[in-house]
Amino acid sequence: MAIIGLDPSSGPIGGGDTKLLAPRPNSLSGQVLGLVANGLGRGEDMLDAIARNLMATDDLAGVVKVVKGSVSIAPHPDDWARLTEGATVAITGFGG
Amino acid sequence: MTLAAEPHTYADYDELLEDYYERGWTDGLPVVPPTAEKVQRFLTLAGLEPDEILGSVPTRAVVVTAEHAAINAVMAGCRPEYFPAVVAAVRAHLDEMGNCHSTTGTLSGAVQTVIINGPVRNEWGVASGQGCLGPGFRPNATIGRALRLVIRNVCRAIPGFLDRASFSSPMRYSFCFAENEEASDWVPLHVQRGFAAEQSTVTVASFMNFVPATDMTSRTCVDIANSIVKTMRSKGIGGDKWLGQDHNVVAIVGKEHHRYFIEEGWSKADLQHYLWERIHEPTSGPDDRFCNIGYPEGILVVAAGGAGMAETWLLMPHLAHAITRVIEPAQL
Repeated sequence: MAIIGLDPSSGPIGGGDTKLLAPRPNSLSGQVLGLVANGLGRGEDMLDAIARNLMATDDLAGVVKVVKGSVSIAPHPDDWARLTEGATVAITGFGG
Repeated sequence: MTLAAEPHTYADYDELLEDYYERGWTDGLPVVPPTAEKVQRFLTLAGLEPDEILGSVPTRAVVVTAEHAAINAVMAGCRPEYFPAVVAAVRAHLDEMGNCHSTTGTLSGAVQTVIINGPVRNEWGVASGQGCLGPGFRPNATIGRALRLVIRNVCRAIPGFLDRASFSSPMRYSFCFAENEEASDWVPLHVQRGFAAEQSTVTVASFMNFVPATDMTSRTCVDIANSIVKTMRSKGIGGDKWLGQDHNVVAIVGKEHHRYFIEEGWSKADLQHYLWERIHEPTSGPDDRFCNIGYPEGILVVAAGGAGMAETWLLMPHLAHAITRVIEPAQL
């Protein structure tokens, strides 16, 4: 006997085709590097060190750094705006 | 009653089961087919329209409806009368301070537990005694599983996608139990949290560590409480600016420990105050850590478990508050 079951989900994983990975540049030259520090451990120190190294070796145009106000939630909307408007590539850390 | 979910037709149950698994709609275990008739029955019994919004996950652009919860509750194997508890658990999980994006996406594999209080415990036979944290009890197994299926299917916490847990946990299949309110005159958890004794509630708490404070040798309340303090401080609880001081730790006090507190006349509040004062004392080293709980009632003391092992189990929190919600009576 045929059986009809309902879709239990809220839609396609990842929003279907509407969300894609950000484009990956071939070079960091001229890019503005975004840094998102989650506040755990010495993550901010590590991101600062990465930025210093990339500035020295890859001809970055600048750095936009965001330090989250809390480890447990997304950055403040103002910080998101600063990041998305100013940065062209980004590095973030997660976990402790 | 019109449902929004897309229907899928199968030749038989086996075909449905394989397709649901392939689509990523199960936790790996068999599910009960969520037919329209069953889903409508759940919603009718709870007095909910399908499009009633139970909450949302803004960071994932997800809105969770009563229909979503009902479909997943059917799949989990719930009896219809359990559905109001699933609704309450979903609402609690999606409370802003439940911080569901963090607690279900975390590397740590934090677990969501559902603690049931009030009359429905006895009406449904929710286990609170011997073996209550393990398998064998339908309401415990299916209510906890229903919440996890909602988290997976609706809130998109899928391993490797928005669930980034390194190991995850077998406790994520289901973790639901009741407080043994009849074990003593201790004030039940939900009453301590401002609800009436005759109301039924769920309390959803996300935790990162499940730690036994085993103490088979102590024979006084103070010594047992000190063992609990030592175990709590071995893990510690850090601070978080956004969460503030309302962190919670759950202490499931087992029968063998509980009887010492009863015999010496310690109330639940007495235990909470004793523990709270000592978890804030200065640390003595890396294995003795500060526990950031803002006030004594933030230590949620729950009596449960059976005879034998002299232990109290501690649910050390992830980045969330424990949230309590009323189970609205079913429309029988």
